[in-house]
Amino acid sequence: MSNINRRTLVKGSLAAAIAGTALSRAAFADTAEPILLGVSGPLTGPNAQYGTQWKQGFDLALDDILAGGGINGRKLAYQFEDSQSDPRQSVAIAQKFVSDPKIVLELGDFSSPASMAASPIYQRGGLVQFGFTNSHPDFTKGGDFMWSTSVSQADEQPLLAAYAVKKLGLKKLAVLHLNTDWGRTSRDYFNNAAKEYGAEIAITEGYIAEERDFRSTLVRVRDANPDGLVLISYYSDGALIARQARQVGLKQVICAASSVYSPKFLELGGDAVEDVHVGTRYFPEDPRPEVQKFIAGFKKKYNGLEPDAFNAYAYDAMNMAAAVVRIGGTDRKAIRDAFTKVKDVPSVIFGTATFDVASRRVKGAMNAELVVRKGQFALWDGKPT
Amino acid sequence: MAEAHAPLLSLRGLTRRFGGLTAVDSIDLDLAKGGLVSIIGPNGAGKTTLFNLVTGLDRPDAGEVRFEGQDITGLSPERLAAQAIARTFQLGRVFGNLSVMDNVLIGAHTRLRAVKPAVPIIGPLLELGLALLRPSSVKAEEERLREEVKTILARFGERLLPRIDQPAYSLSYANRRRVEIARALALKPRLLLLDEPTAGMNPSETAEMQGLVAELKAEGLTILLIEHKLEMVMRLSDRVIVMDEGQKIAEGPGEQVRNDPKVIEAYLGHGLSGTAEQESAA
Amino acid sequence: MSSWLDYTINGLIVGNVYALVAVGLALIFGVSRLINFAQGSIYLVGAYIGWVAVVQLHTPLPLTIIFVAVVAALVGLIIERFGLRPLQNSVRIAPLLATIGISFVLDQLVMLTFSPNPRALPSQLPDVRFQVGGGTIGPLDLLIAGVGISSALLLFVFLRYSKLGWAVRAASQDRDAAMQMGVDVNRVNQAVFGIAAALGGVSGLLVGMYYNQIDTAMSLQATLKGVVAEVVGGAGNVPGAVVGSLLLGLVESYGVAVFGTSYRNLFAFLLLVVVLVLRPNGLFASARQAPPEPLTGTFIAPSRPVRIPRWALLVAVAVFAILPLLPVSFYVLQTLINAWLLGMLALSLTLVAGTIGQVSLGHAALLAIGAYTSALLSLTLSVPVGLAIIAGGLMSAALGTILISPSFRLRGHYVSIATLAIGEIVSLVILNWESVTRGPIGISGIPPLSLFGYDLIDPKSVYWFSFTVMVVLALLQARLLSSHLGRSFRAIRDDDIAARAYGLSLNRYKSLAFIFGGFAAGVSGGIAAHLYSYINHETFNTQQSILALTVVILGGLGNVVGAVVGAVALVGLPEVFRIAAEYRILIYGIVLLLLVRFRPQGLLGTI
Repeated sequence: MSNINRRTLVKGSLAAAIAGTALSRAAFADTAEPILLGVSGPLTGPNAQYGTQWKQGFDLALDDILAGGGINGRKLAYQFEDSQSDPRQSVAIAQKFVSDPKIVLELGDFSSPASMAASPIYQRGGLVQFGFTNSHPDFTKGGDFMWSTSVSQADEQPLLAAYAVKKLGLKKLAVLHLNTDWGRTSRDYFNNAAKEYGAEIAITEGYIAEERDFRSTLVRVRDANPDGLVLISYYSDGALIARQARQVGLKQVICAASSVYSPKFLELGGDAVEDVHVGTRYFPEDPRPEVQKFIAGFKKKYNGLEPDAFNAYAYDAMNMAAAVVRIGGTDRKAIRDAFTKVKDVPSVIFGTATFDVASRRVKGAMNAELVVRKGQFALWDGKPT
Repeated sequence: MAEAHAPLLSLRGLTRRFGGLTAVDSIDLDLAKGGLVSIIGPNGAGKTTLFNLVTGLDRPDAGEVRFEGQDITGLSPERLAAQAIARTFQLGRVFGNLSVMDNVLIGAHTRLRAVKPAVPIIGPLLELGLALLRPSSVKAEEERLREEVKTILARFGERLLPRIDQPAYSLSYANRRRVEIARALALKPRLLLLDEPTAGMNPSETAEMQGLVAELKAEGLTILLIEHKLEMVMRLSDRVIVMDEGQKIAEGPGEQVRNDPKVIEAYLGHGLSGTAEQESAA
Repeated sequence: MSSWLDYTINGLIVGNVYALVAVGLALIFGVSRLINFAQGSIYLVGAYIGWVAVVQLHTPLPLTIIFVAVVAALVGLIIERFGLRPLQNSVRIAPLLATIGISFVLDQLVMLTFSPNPRALPSQLPDVRFQVGGGTIGPLDLLIAGVGISSALLLFVFLRYSKLGWAVRAASQDRDAAMQMGVDVNRVNQAVFGIAAALGGVSGLLVGMYYNQIDTAMSLQATLKGVVAEVVGGAGNVPGAVVGSLLLGLVESYGVAVFGTSYRNLFAFLLLVVVLVLRPNGLFASARQAPPEPLTGTFIAPSRPVRIPRWALLVAVAVFAILPLLPVSFYVLQTLINAWLLGMLALSLTLVAGTIGQVSLGHAALLAIGAYTSALLSLTLSVPVGLAIIAGGLMSAALGTILISPSFRLRGHYVSIATLAIGEIVSLVILNWESVTRGPIGISGIPPLSLFGYDLIDPKSVYWFSFTVMVVLALLQARLLSSHLGRSFRAIRDDDIAARAYGLSLNRYKSLAFIFGGFAAGVSGGIAAHLYSYINHETFNTQQSILALTVVILGGLGNVVGAVVGAVALVGLPEVFRIAAEYRILIYGIVLLLLVRFRPQGLLGTI
């Protein structure tokens, strides 16, 4: 019974969904009460796709934790509350979690407005808010109960800049970025690093998430005469830009941030994303055992589906949560302290993750330089395109 | 005679065109203080458009409107209301969701003083503040106007007073027309324009309305009247103006106009009916 | 310069895409005088039906188009028959709200069936590209242009020369007269919704292929751009919608060319506001036409509001006031805090939309102005939080009134569209005015609520604070409504022509309503900013505006108690439905539709 995917269960009938409640599947068939984590994230609304990707990653990690004997003999489970990434709902969820003694740790929310609006409540309530996708530089400044495994853009963007400038030899760059807190922060780190490595930033263009038409933007880019395009994008907008760049006749090298790393990028981009360079944290052929275990497990569990970056973040986050709970037990404060104690937790993104206690983030993300070849992500062979 | 002293209202060459159609074609009209002039004519003759031009709801393409010797052509309806020009509408435009009392109080809006200090720029903000704080002067003014409304409503006997707190949409058609006239009276008009006040009324209601208009005239109110019911027009009017296709085709005392062959032709040609003509005249 | 040629071509290409949605909207507006907010959802349905046809059934393109058109037309017919026809004789705002509810339901159904992940929708046309200027265009560009222009032409001919077309035009000009002349208005509406939906579905398919991408978020954006294009061209004018779309595409493209990408939508919405102010009937209407709405106010239905006895209100206030002393969870308190904040917004909106009849779809902008003012004052100038919130309210009152004043001369749905655009403009200015607003990074570290030096941190004190503020605002508003201003506002709403004839200046009283309402909304935004400690341009979005309008209509337009009841209901319902997980927004949409259907005057009735 515990293996029934909740989605199919819900699809079966609404009554069943109501009866089943939002309590997710447990990873260990034990008579003991499960250790419960709260998740606040979007399952409906404009960001719903990310919430579903989280669940895939969480569920896979829970399978692994089950296989590894659970948490000191107890099962680990999560309660996913849909916030629609709306701050009004995320604060209510925060109060709900804080006042529910069964919840020992919280994961999420997805967007900065939703996450950071809830931070004061988690901080005052003494419940760790583990914002594993919150790259906003001020997120962990919300208090000592805010922790994040989101790769700091201060770490990630210089890696991308090094790939573009040092490895690919690009000298004059056009930077297109999602005009969100993440995109803006990333752009600034990228530009600084790229300039430091000796490249010129010819033009930067910020676009809103709903944008679909980039042809005029790309004419602007063309007129700035860059020798490379840098996309600080998610996979859907990244694919759109790549396609339209080819349509308006731009043939320059395209280099994209790790957030486009998804099979969807290839599917949506088609031929246009061929030869696009992507700086990522892991890649399919990566021999590291945690990566192989993740990819193989994911494909097996989801009918051959390739995992993407958000699946990996969620997978890592659940494993990290398990590691923390193993040390801290079920006491919320002890769990917070456990974040300072966990060491070298196996991670797809970081290799092994250890928190920097001062910034409450993890440093030293892995780096892989990929390129799309024949419709697949492959390790870059050092040949120019 | 009429030229002895300046008329209260005078129109010269008033013209309004809609596309190819000239709805009002260089109309001249003089209305002396205390007088009652009726405008008659077949449907679509341009009578309501003329009213709209006089009351500022529409702007003329040519010509001028003078009120007490002053040029008021093209002034906004708000300004004209402040000059004490009041009108009723052909289709009975009461404020449906407002009570009878509130409808008539709106008529007295231009007479509010205590709550609407005539201060430039911050006047509206003062109005908001006074409406919330309601010092005794504001309360007294409101109370006085409410009493006045009751007096006005009393003119309609037991028609409106018992329904004073009912929303206007719940009233009968005739009662809505009465509310409209009460609202116009609350403005203490110096010029009253009545657009078919008896439209849709039965004979006894018409007679009642005719009595009221006669009473108002006797009190010295200056009235411009659009009316289809010739009987009433003949009884009340000092002078009658006949319009057809935007033009004035006849003017004079009732009996004279009635026998004018042009008028007879215009009416026979179009057929006189009591149905409403298009308000917007588009 | 060759680049200008490219910008022009790109503008026309994207204009093409907008035209497909705009034509359908124009057709429906032409007949029903209704902005069909569900048109974007039909577009979404068309895209996904197309995906099923192309990817799973492998149908050839002509068959795909026919398949999509037929299914979409059926959806349109169902919407017309069960969603809109029952509302024919109710308030005019009801069908508008119904289309919003229908779009909720359709979007959610698509999301639940197909998952929210974007999908590729491969084009079935040969991949040849023609060099035009510096860029290329493909066969899909031509097909989209062809479908847009030929459907506009076909519709034009159909409306002009066919019998059903004659009936459609008759019905659009005067419904009652058309009915007397023997026109079967229901059949006309069916025909129009069927055609518009088929067109909407096919446009979703083509646009999906064009971008090789479909996802469930495409619906709202399509509706927004379609509405802008349609209104620019002259609402209800089918060929005008095509020209309006191309113009919109061009303005956006040139805007990007001159100022950069992040200003793109700013130009789209500014174009809309400018057109509405200068030529409210659209660019192609003759200057002095009959106004687009009937002269008499029919936006608000006659209603007998539910009178709640004073003692009952007092008891309710007392119960809510002592609630934190009872053993209730902080979650319940937090949910009610949200309700009180939404209640303040609803008080504001019920005044401007209900009492004076300016149905605003951009009210979240007032929240944002209040929130940013209060946050920035307390952060950068260390103004005490209590004062900063009041300043936020005042700023929202002043700036909001000035921004919305261009819409004062508009009527009916046009006000809604203009305010929607103004709301978007405010959000885009916040995004782009980085030196003040910090752009997308947002403002973090906003100090918590405090009063006279005491921090209000625990949920109980925040609850009492927000509840008190809301009750005070509600009492003030009730007092306002009982003054001469209350009757003046309502008179303007019921019949602005007659109101003007009795000396009521529309600008003066609409301004006063927005000043008073803006203050309440600004205070709500200010409190939210200090509660959340972080805000950015996305915190107060269009969904908030739509939610607020829903609250107001649910409670009863102009109804002070109704606004608060509605806020509690609409904050509470999604929390109650939380147990249904992904289904909760679907359930919410259905509940909304049922309410509109069976109680269009709201729970407590219009005042």
